[in-house]
Order: sequence, then structure tokens, then C-alpha cells
Amino acid sequence: MRDPSQPPRSIADASAALMAGRVTSVELVERTLARINAVDDKIRSYIHVAHDRALADARQADEEMAAGASRGPLHGIPFAVKDNYDAVGMPATAGSALRLGHMPVRDADLVAKLRSAGAVLLGKLSTWEYGTGNGGEYFDLPFPPARNPWDITRFTGGSSTGAGAAVPAGTAMFAMGSDTTGSVRLPAAACGLVGIIATPGRLSLKGILPNCYSLDVPGPLTWTAEDAAIVLDATIDRPASRRREISLRRATGLPIRGLRIGVMCEPLGRFPAPDAAIATAFEAGLKVLEAAGASLHDVRLPLPVSDCFDVTRVLGPAESASIHEAELRERPQDMGFALRDKLMAGSLVRAVDYIAAQRQRLVIANAIDALIRDHDAIVTWGSLHVAPRLGVEPEMTAFTVETMLTPFNLSAHPALVQCTGFSPDGLPLNWQIVANRGDEAMVLRMAAAYERDTPWRDHRPVL
Amino acid sequence: MTDTSAPTRQEIERWARRHGIEKLHPEHLDRMSELAVYVADLGRSLRRVASKDDRPAAIFRPLDGRHGQDGH
Repeated sequence: MRDPSQPPRSIADASAALMAGRVTSVELVERTLARINAVDDKIRSYIHVAHDRALADARQADEEMAAGASRGPLHGIPFAVKDNYDAVGMPATAGSALRLGHMPVRDADLVAKLRSAGAVLLGKLSTWEYGTGNGGEYFDLPFPPARNPWDITRFTGGSSTGAGAAVPAGTAMFAMGSDTTGSVRLPAAACGLVGIIATPGRLSLKGILPNCYSLDVPGPLTWTAEDAAIVLDATIDRPASRRREISLRRATGLPIRGLRIGVMCEPLGRFPAPDAAIATAFEAGLKVLEAAGASLHDVRLPLPVSDCFDVTRVLGPAESASIHEAELRERPQDMGFALRDKLMAGSLVRAVDYIAAQRQRLVIANAIDALIRDHDAIVTWGSLHVAPRLGVEPEMTAFTVETMLTPFNLSAHPALVQCTGFSPDGLPLNWQIVANRGDEAMVLRMAAAYERDTPWRDHRPVL
Repeated sequence: MTDTSAPTRQEIERWARRHGIEKLHPEHLDRMSELAVYVADLGRSLRRVASKDDRPAAIFRPLDGRHGQDGH
């Protein structure tokens, strides 16, 4: 039995309750603020909570809905953003001492779109410094690290750490993160969420602190695939030629019978096999897809996934060192270890190697694209491990590095990680679904079909 | 023969100063010496594309002028 003092579990449920008059936005926001007060000392999902502004926005949403002026399914829904997003009236620290006191004068495009859709911004969420990291946690930043609601001794996955913690804990109904080599999908994997990156260019990056120009992509973290579709429907840029397509939310209700699905588990290169529980859940998940009528076909990544990761190890640090060059020159002592280490390494990358990496990237992207074009979607590993113990460096690094996420950052395909069950210790398991460029609908349709036939969305962490 | 030894503190300090990175603490410079070996190894081990006709991936996305052109 759910605790009625807690917010509804999904945006879809909350929106239905709002539209039916069973709850008001003010009540939803008050419950969520109460939840933050009750549990955030344990999970540290927030850097900044905008209590008064959120209640004022919720009152406005209620007035508009009472007047019959609904703005859609996000109207009155409380959400939060990673602290590398700009939002007027809220500090934007990016989790760093370098930006303490920084107050942006404009909303990030995605914040503006969500506010325009009537969603109520509660505040700013924890992040690794500057939305980046090497997998380690060094406890040297101005804000304490977020903790995993399923086990607060465990890490949330980074770099969208607070986003990963907030949604399962009920301190936000959805959260916006950003992903360069997995920073939306890793917290989704560790915290049992849906985390999706759209095709690069379909969600605006304006007003999000850059990390790596050629790989950055924002994305929502939600409890369900339908919720992710609702958020993307409100935020995705649709060219005129695609404005008549059905909504992504409607796509989540479509069956998957007859779809041709590639199953990609190899080659992992120097990465180890996934945790046994993740592998077992993966196999069980394939049976769910088969039972729903999809046809499965084994496919292989055109090169070892660890080689893909190596390409990002050149691109990411080099671009970050360029983006944040002034900070390394002027204030290296004010950074945490992970950011300084990355910027120092990136400063040392030769232009020759950077361009070699970008050339290799295009070869990889074209090969993956050719492979996916023969299918409706691909199912692969997400992270190969469950959430690591916070501060246990080898586990932390393995969780972040040993994934099958980076190939699809390089190839610029839409990709989603979702929960595929729980380990014997109660930790979320995960897999990843990838589809053709521009076909976010297929990724969400697959994920929603899997959700319908499995019980994992009925479990929430107890805090 | 490829030199895989770490640069000395003096070498890395000179390199950093040459590039305007002058406020690193001594322990940061020690770390940067280690990183120089890691970065060089990474660059050497990176697969090379055989054909000179294979161009780099585009960094800036022509479909969305907001990427890159204004710093995002």
C-alpha cells in the first residue's frame, strides 16, 4: 500500500490525478518538498531547493488548470535539474567551488521549455564537478556526494548523481541530466530508472555547462518509459517535416510484435563479463521480448567496446581542457581532483591524436549505423555492474568505465537504459535499448513493452 | 626507439609554463608527469584509420545552430 503523503509514482499518474481534480499542483509540490525534508539528508540529491518559487509556480499552475487552461501532461508536475543547467533565480554551481555564487540570467533552453509546459522547477541537483568525472569519488567538492536510495552506502552513478537519487526517492518526479559517455544512463542503471539520450541535436544544449562539444547530449531520468516520452514530447526539437508524427507518448502504447531486434553482447575487449545477476536478467528480458512477438537476432559490435571507450578517453579530456582552459590556468587549486586530473590530461593530448580519435569515431559511427539500420532496435548491456560501494575506488571506476554505453555516444544514436530487475542484495539491474537515429519512439516503445510485462516498476526504495 | 619514461618535474613544469599553466602546485606537477605517460600511451595505442580520405567526425552540428556557434 502506498503512503498517500508521498507523491504519485509517475508523471502519468500525477497528471491524471491533476486533470481529474483529485490533487492540486500545490499539494504535489508540498508533498515533494516534505519528502526532500524527510530524506535528503540521507541521499543528498539536492544542491539547492527553491521552496518559495516552486510553491508560487504551483499556485499559478493550479489557477490556470482551474480556469481550463491546461498546458498538457507536465502542467503542475514537480521536477529538478542537474546543477550544470542554468535556471533564473537559482545558483548554478555545477557542483564546483569555481562557480559558487554564479547566478545565471537566462534559463537553459530545456528549463524554459519545461516551464513553458507548466512543470514546476524545485531546484538544482547534485553533480560531479562540471558534470564530469573519472569514476572515482574524492570527497573534495563543496557539496557532499549523492547516495543511492536503494542502498545509501552505494554510489548513484555519475555524473548526474542527484538526478539518479531524486527520482526513485521521490524528491522529484523527473529530473534532467546530461550525458557525454554515460552520465544519464549510468545513474539510471545504478538507481533503477529510465534514462534516455535522444539523437544529438534533438534536445537543446543551450544553457548547459559544456563538457565535451562533440559528445554532450542532455536527457531525462524518469520512473517509467511513458514518463520519459512525456518529457521528450515537451522538449524535443521537431523539424517541420516531422511535426505530424504521433507523439512519443502514444508510441509507448504500441505493441512490439513483429519487430526485428538485434542482441549485442560482444565483443567486450578488455572489459570483463557482466555481473551474473545482470546477465541472468538480460537473458530473462530477451524471453520477455520474444514472448511479446519480437524476433531476436545476434549481432556484434564492429569493434571491441573497450576500443570505443579509448576514443572517448582522448576526445573528452581534450575538449574539456579547451572549454575550461581558463580555470586550469587561473584556479587549479580550487578544483576537485577528478576535474583537475582530466584538464591536465586533456592539456597534454596532441592535436594529431585528437584528430585521429575523431576520424576513428566516424568509422565507428558509420559501422554501428549500418548494423542498426538492419533492425528496428538493438538490445545491449548498459553498465556491466551494479551500483558500486561509494568511495571504493576500484568498484567505482569499474562501474563507470566497464559499460556498453560509449559506442552509442560515438555513433550518435538514441539510447535508453532501464531497470531489468534486482540483484540478491536488492540493487537495480539494467540493460540498454538503442534505435536508429531520430527514432526515439522505437526506443521508448521497446522499453514500455518490457515494463508492461515485468513487475519492476512496482518496487521503490525504502528510506 | 619510443621513450616511455615520465618527464621530470622540471620538464613538465617548463612545458606547463610554456602553455600558460603556471599555478599548479608541486603535487599537481608530479601528477601531470604521470599523466604525460598515460596520455602518450593512449595516443599511441589509438587505432588509426587507414585511408586518408576518411575525415574526422563533425564537431559542430549543422542541423542546430545553437550547438557550437555560441559556445554550447
